[in-house]
Amino acid sequence: MEMEREAETPGAFVLALIFLIVFIIAYSGNWKYLAGTWWVR
Amino acid sequence: MFRTCPVTGFKVDSQAEGLIRANAVVAVVCLLIGGIFALLVALTRWPAIHLLGNEWYYRALTAHAINMLFFWIVFFEVAGLYFGSAVVLSAPLAWPRLAWLAFILMVGGAALTDLMIFTGQGTVLMTSYYPLKASPFFYLGIILFAVGALIACAVFFATLVVAKREKTYGEGSYPLFTFGLAAAAIIAVLTLAHGAIIYIPTFLWSLGLIPKLDAAMYRLIWWGFGHSSQQINVSAMVAVWYALASLTVGAKPVNEKICRTAFYFYPLFILIASAHHLQVDPGVSSAWKIWNTGYFMHLAVLASMIHAMAITAAVEKAQRAKGVGRGLFDWLARAPWGNPAFSGLFLSMVGFGFFGGITGVTYGTEQINIVAHNTYRIPGHFHGTVVAGTSLAFMAITYYVLPLIFRRQVAFPSLARIQPWLFGLGMYGVAGFLMLAGSYGIPRRHWDITFTGAPFAFEWDPAGITMLSLMGLSALLAILGGALFVLIAVVTVFFGKRVEKTEDVTFPVSAPAERTVYA
Repeated sequence: MEMEREAETPGAFVLALIFLIVFIIAYSGNWKYLAGTWWVR
Repeated sequence: MFRTCPVTGFKVDSQAEGLIRANAVVAVVCLLIGGIFALLVALTRWPAIHLLGNEWYYRALTAHAINMLFFWIVFFEVAGLYFGSAVVLSAPLAWPRLAWLAFILMVGGAALTDLMIFTGQGTVLMTSYYPLKASPFFYLGIILFAVGALIACAVFFATLVVAKREKTYGEGSYPLFTFGLAAAAIIAVLTLAHGAIIYIPTFLWSLGLIPKLDAAMYRLIWWGFGHSSQQINVSAMVAVWYALASLTVGAKPVNEKICRTAFYFYPLFILIASAHHLQVDPGVSSAWKIWNTGYFMHLAVLASMIHAMAITAAVEKAQRAKGVGRGLFDWLARAPWGNPAFSGLFLSMVGFGFFGGITGVTYGTEQINIVAHNTYRIPGHFHGTVVAGTSLAFMAITYYVLPLIFRRQVAFPSLARIQPWLFGLGMYGVAGFLMLAGSYGIPRRHWDITFTGAPFAFEWDPAGITMLSLMGLSALLAILGGALFVLIAVVTVFFGKRVEKTEDVTFPVSAPAERTVYA
């Protein structure tokens, strides 16, 4: 029978997710400059 | 001649110990000089005060940057290299006389460069972009300093060879801390090669022996030196993070192979990432810029993210193994926050990751860089990486260097507990408010952003000016934290009580059995 393995470091995983979310917000906050290069001529 | 450290059990070579002390003391002196100029620069950038005149502003900005980014950090890193090789590996330092020669060259070079800056003969900012011309002694000072640093790297590598050959630390690969420092030293060799390629012709040009240089080529090669030197700092800082996590809570990586692999990414990709400084240069193509900064740069960034998450997970695992904390974040809430080495580690990681890292990737993107370039966004970003990140990590490890190497009890322990908070939170403010001011388009490296006396009046958005005022207030907080650090370090070194036994160490060190990261 397969044993369910308990996460060793769930807190660090959540902190990594928070970092990822902040990263995406900061990056996409500049969307108009990114979009301007690819879509607007 | 060796002594055995009663706390760590390391066999400490007296030559290495003397060199670590000498380099660390000069590092703190350079930090003090750079800090005084930081105060002057911040009070001039604060629009309501605007302290210095134009001539002294650029002089102060040059002195601040060179003393902080080159002198303070590199002297401390050289101390770290000797600690990470001779002390951690319990080996004799190879070529101690050469190491002292390196120290003399570095001190002489730093003093000569500073003298030129103070006397107005080197007001060319840190980048010294061609065709700005300084006195030949300005360039000579930097060349001497760089040669000294290169010799120090050679001593480090030779000590690794001696330790491996004589099996002073046992069998197998070097400890992770030493491994990280080796990555930093490899980048240092590449960096200093770029420095030689660009500073030697510039020196000859300042003497009149070469008629002219190519400005675009200068920028390309200088940034191979200028940015890579910051990656030495990142690699050394990460090594210090591992050591701090190990010393404070006994953390060891969940998977050490991943951490070692991540260290390989720095020497492989970071030189390429230097291209993000040339995003608005006309001489290189968009394809070159995007390939280097949109793809390869992220591999170096990935390494930093692996390290940050590996260390966080290691701290959590160590805390849980001790039975500290049951919920999702109890382990963090009940961490040793009263230990400045731990609070410094945490604040350094958050500052580097959130303030320096995320913004670095964002501003390094070609399309975004077009609007971010030469605004206050950029100094905001690198104050997050090298000050809130690297400098704070180096300050945090000092709280262990003082009792273990200088063998003195840390003076003013109550002030030491709040020092990382003052410095860290102050620097978060400096970095954050500079970036916000930059988002209003306010230019960096400009003495008078209000353009007094210009034929056409220009008004900035008042919110941007407010951000610079808030930056000034934050800078005062950070400088207070920096001044406390210097005070604590100086009083401890010269007047601190001797450490005779383990109990004398001011801030507790985790049990030796737990410290597998560096021993």
